[in-house]
Amino acid sequence: MSYTPTRIGRASRMAIVASLLVAAMSVSFTGVAHASESIGGCLAEHFEEGGEEILASGDEEAIKEFDKELESCIEAPNPILPELDEIIYGGAAFVILMVAMWKWAVPAMKQGMQARTDRIRADLAAAESARLEADGMKAEYASKLAEARTEAGRIVDDARQTADAMKVELQAKAESDIADLRTRAAGEVEAAKAQAVSDLRGEVASLAVGAAEQVIEKNLDADAQIDLIENYINQVRS
Amino acid sequence: MGEVENAQYAEAMFSVASAENDTDGIADELFSFSQVFQSNDELRSALGDRSIPTSRRTQIIEDLVGDKVSATTTALISMVVGAGRGSDLPDIINKLVQANAAAGDRAVAEIRTAVPLDEGQRTRLAEALSQKTGKTIEIKAIVDPTIKGGVIAQIGDEVIDGSVRRKLALLREAF
Repeated sequence: MSYTPTRIGRASRMAIVASLLVAAMSVSFTGVAHASESIGGCLAEHFEEGGEEILASGDEEAIKEFDKELESCIEAPNPILPELDEIIYGGAAFVILMVAMWKWAVPAMKQGMQARTDRIRADLAAAESARLEADGMKAEYASKLAEARTEAGRIVDDARQTADAMKVELQAKAESDIADLRTRAAGEVEAAKAQAVSDLRGEVASLAVGAAEQVIEKNLDADAQIDLIENYINQVRS
Repeated sequence: MGEVENAQYAEAMFSVASAENDTDGIADELFSFSQVFQSNDELRSALGDRSIPTSRRTQIIEDLVGDKVSATTTALISMVVGAGRGSDLPDIINKLVQANAAAGDRAVAEIRTAVPLDEGQRTRLAEALSQKTGKTIEIKAIVDPTIKGGVIAQIGDEVIDGSVRRKLALLREAF
């Protein structure tokens, strides 16, 4: 998720810059104060307060006393307790800095932090929403996958059942066809046998009748024809 | 050709024969011609072919029967052939013969034999058939060597078959 600067963010940066400026000023003030309390200044003050007259008087006791005073100028400052003016300037700068920071930087920082918190919260909420959505999609995908697997299993089962049924049907049909072929073949054999017997019988009959015809035709002379006609007349009459 | 038209032709021809007072003779001549007509493929084809000019077909009739039958019979045959109904001649003549027999309260018996019948045989056969059917029988004899021997009598739809051909057929069937 990308972050875009907001008005609150810019105010926060401005407060930080202002605090830095105030800090720089306090440092510079402190520097000035410290400069006014240098060794040279101390020595000059002692000379102005009568050092020159003491030196001019030649009073050794006075000069020794003046040396001690001068030596006091070059003594090292207190490493713990600063000078009073430094405390005043530094305290003022600190107070100003604190006020400025309390006035501008802290609210801006609070706003920035709040905005960041809100943004992070929103990001977390969005991430949670996305996670929930992803979980939903995942669950849906898993459901669909399971459904697809179930469907695939059902299709495979159906195909297997269909194949089994077709196998049984084809087997039954093949057996039926074989039985039909056998029956038909047996029928054809019987028919061929009957036809052969019939043909043979017909042939024998034809030969016998042909022989009879030849015998009859040879014997059917005029007298035989007359006898046949007379017999016919007698049969009709009877 | 329809039955009705053939019957009308037969009726017309019978009227002509009646007008001539010779129905039996004309019927006999026509019956004989019908037998010849049916047994001769070439004659049947020539007289039944309408593409042959009428004059040619009537000339064939004149040449064939002009000097063997009466002029009336020749004219009747020529009339039927000239009308383009040569192929219907057997049926027309058969109807005329039936009508002639019916007019004399007789029934026509078509008798087929392998050899010609003599008068005595015709008479005895007519008497026997009359006795069997209870009708006066008029014999129309046809010589048909294919029956080999014996007699086949047909009276209307009834057939009395005593031919050698039938006996041989029965013998063949018995096998």
